[in-house]
Amino acid sequence: MNAEEQLKAMTTKLHQHEYVCRGLFERKGALSYIGHLDLKAVFERALRRAELPLLYTQGFNPRPMLEFALPLGVGIDAEGDWVDVVMQVPVDPDEYVKRVNEELPDGVRVIRAVSLDEPKKSLMSVVTCAEYRIEAPGITDALLNVFAQEHVETTKKSKGREVTTDIRPLLIKPFTSSTPDRAEYMCYAGSQQNLRPDVLLNAICETTGYSAEAAAEARITRLALYGGVYPDIDSLEGLV
Amino acid sequence: MSAYSTDKHQLRYNPYMHTEVKVPHSVLMSVESPGRYVGGEKNQVVKPIDDSIVRTVFCFPDIYEIGMSNLALQILYKVLNGPEWSSCERAFSPWPDMDKKMREHNIPLYSLETRSPLNEFDVAAFSLGYEMCFTNVLQMLDLGRIPLLAKDRTEDDPIVVAGGPVCCNIEPMADFFDAAFIGEGEEVDIEFTEVIKRYKDGGKKDRKALLKELAKIEGVYVPSLYTPKYENGRFAGFDMEDGAPASVRKRIITDLDKVDYPTRPVVPNNNVVHDRAYLELFRGCIRGCRFCQAGYLYRPVREKSAKTLCEQGMEIMKNTGYDDLGLLSLSTSDYTGLHELTDTLLEDFEPKHESLSLPSLRIDNFALELMEKASQTRKSGLTFAPEAGTQRLRDVINKGINEEDIMTSLKLAFEGGWSTVKLYFMLGLPTETMEDVEGIADLALKIEKLYFDTMREIGAKPRKPEITVSTSMFIPKPFTPFQWESQNTKEQFLEKQTHLRNMLKKHRNIRYIWHDVETSCWEGIYARGDRRLGEVILEGYKSGSIFDAWDQFFDYEKWSAILNSHGLKWEDYTQGWKTEDALPWDVIDVGVTKAFLKRERDKAYNEKITENCRVKCAGCGATCYKAGICP
Repeated sequence: MNAEEQLKAMTTKLHQHEYVCRGLFERKGALSYIGHLDLKAVFERALRRAELPLLYTQGFNPRPMLEFALPLGVGIDAEGDWVDVVMQVPVDPDEYVKRVNEELPDGVRVIRAVSLDEPKKSLMSVVTCAEYRIEAPGITDALLNVFAQEHVETTKKSKGREVTTDIRPLLIKPFTSSTPDRAEYMCYAGSQQNLRPDVLLNAICETTGYSAEAAAEARITRLALYGGVYPDIDSLEGLV
Repeated sequence: MSAYSTDKHQLRYNPYMHTEVKVPHSVLMSVESPGRYVGGEKNQVVKPIDDSIVRTVFCFPDIYEIGMSNLALQILYKVLNGPEWSSCERAFSPWPDMDKKMREHNIPLYSLETRSPLNEFDVAAFSLGYEMCFTNVLQMLDLGRIPLLAKDRTEDDPIVVAGGPVCCNIEPMADFFDAAFIGEGEEVDIEFTEVIKRYKDGGKKDRKALLKELAKIEGVYVPSLYTPKYENGRFAGFDMEDGAPASVRKRIITDLDKVDYPTRPVVPNNNVVHDRAYLELFRGCIRGCRFCQAGYLYRPVREKSAKTLCEQGMEIMKNTGYDDLGLLSLSTSDYTGLHELTDTLLEDFEPKHESLSLPSLRIDNFALELMEKASQTRKSGLTFAPEAGTQRLRDVINKGINEEDIMTSLKLAFEGGWSTVKLYFMLGLPTETMEDVEGIADLALKIEKLYFDTMREIGAKPRKPEITVSTSMFIPKPFTPFQWESQNTKEQFLEKQTHLRNMLKKHRNIRYIWHDVETSCWEGIYARGDRRLGEVILEGYKSGSIFDAWDQFFDYEKWSAILNSHGLKWEDYTQGWKTEDALPWDVIDVGVTKAFLKRERDKAYNEKITENCRVKCAGCGATCYKAGICP
């Protein structure tokens, strides 16, 4: 692309209207063992195969414009995560769901989608809370034990030295739907403050003496993501 | 026949006997890139497990990320999943972290599609692309619970076969394989599987008879039918069993437009080495560089039509969702339909933000224009492979390129705004002297000067040019005119590397990178090795060696000690042969004759070049296939 074409492309960009398909998706099975960037690439290729009217980034290396609400760690299943895909023209959300699901590999599925017209805020920036489920023998007692503490100190290595942080303020509440081997809870999440479930699991082991072997086998699922200020929280579906 | 029969042979392929290998979550979470071990990719083929289906597991003796970038895997995966009665699954070498975990937890190596342990398959087919993967073959067999030595396997074990260019001399690994495919696999794999099908339908009786049956298929080499003889510590030919063919002829695909091509390849979920779709422009190479084994093995040159390639190119992009398409061949510029193909594809690709990758492009006006159009990323570096530093040595190796060509192309490129150049050379070529080595540095310096001269000439402000000189070690390979040559020793290679490094270290615009000497030295043993190396490889594996292709794992001292403990020396395999000597790979016929290779060897010593196949037929022998560009 020469300078003139580039300028032209940039001017076009300024006038390009952004139509966003916001999709609620789940992932499980084999697809849970890939990292965030790989999952993004899986979506990109599926969207290209689906021949949707994607809007691309400008510049030397154009990429489809898609944004995940919150990266998913390796090994974590999801039942209620969100992803925005930017289109050149309005796309019927049901049509979008149908076409992208035909192309996604088994294990990732868009459950439903909504159409948004020129959202003002990025999807990532509106996330504040998340719900998780941990499945492991006797995990619920251990989690409740952690919730009962005033402070939960964990240490992590940062730039070569150990930093101790208190993760207790990041925990919001446990859910009554929990059973002895299946704990569900809400915590803060997003770009401001975030509690990763593996960090919580480590803290559970350190604080309560919960077995590290059992923790290593624990299956973690992210159930939902929310925006707003707790307790006044909202689904990400319409947060623009 | 009852499905619950207690007959030993029938139990094996009772569908209810299928074991699904379960890998604990904690194991997957404790290893690097667990996505390698779980499958589940778009376009993977999962067929039922059934008595009437011959089950092949395609084994790639390196990690997933490398295997999934391999075109042979995708081609044969499609071919073997074609017939209703045949299925093909995939398995890869687990990385050392996973290898350790699998042994600790007693987890057998399994296929990605149905998670079946390797020993439940009818055929385990290994793709051998390079010699240094040998210990990984043993790792996969071992973890897959298949006896390592062919002679220890029974009717209950899979038939273990090898394919790929290394099979032109499979002798070092002959003890571990029941059979090897010589040449291109698309047709012979199916013929082979048909014989296995009859064997399976008949209740898998008499493995030895089966092997003899397999040996009747053209292009199938059954090592156990050949017993090597040695005289004075050197290979001296084979004793053959009755019915063993005196010579095994390489198979080729005559018409590439008619052969199946994987336009719906498996698309990995995790980042692989080459994250793009591929088209194969042609097989073979017209050039005849005397050091290049591929240039002789894949003869005759056979092109695919631009029309077929355009159709397949568009289809493959649609089916994979990749945004980059790589054009594969041994020399892209020699493809006669390149203009037509790239014009059509680029026109289709542009609105979809898709790009073309064009490796092995000879740099001229057309190529520079094409590179600018094809790639949407910024100007990448230019790559040249003069291979040798002086014209004399380039003539010896028949590298049809002279300094003037290089300089003219580079001037064009510098004028067009390029300033990054990579130059590939080989050290240790036959007849090489220190003068030739110094020629490498001289050429790099001339290129640096050319850059600044060109900038001055066109009145442009020079940037800092980046000139990279890369050297690899020349390893004589079977079926080349240099197959009888002696290989440089480790000390000779190191001396040459050091000399070059000293010559180039003061020049800030020139970067010198070199390959690991020890791995190359060892590769030379395997390349021209014989069956005595089997015990050495087995011992090396048992003492813990895997991933020898990875410099960080290869232990030269240890391997040398093992070799010596078996009464063998490095020199036995690298000091060279007389042209009348019996060679371990003489039983293999790749079409190119020994007489031709001898003629080429003489011409090399006389510094005479041989015209390329399109200009004049050199009479190599590949015309016997009556295919491609052969007269």
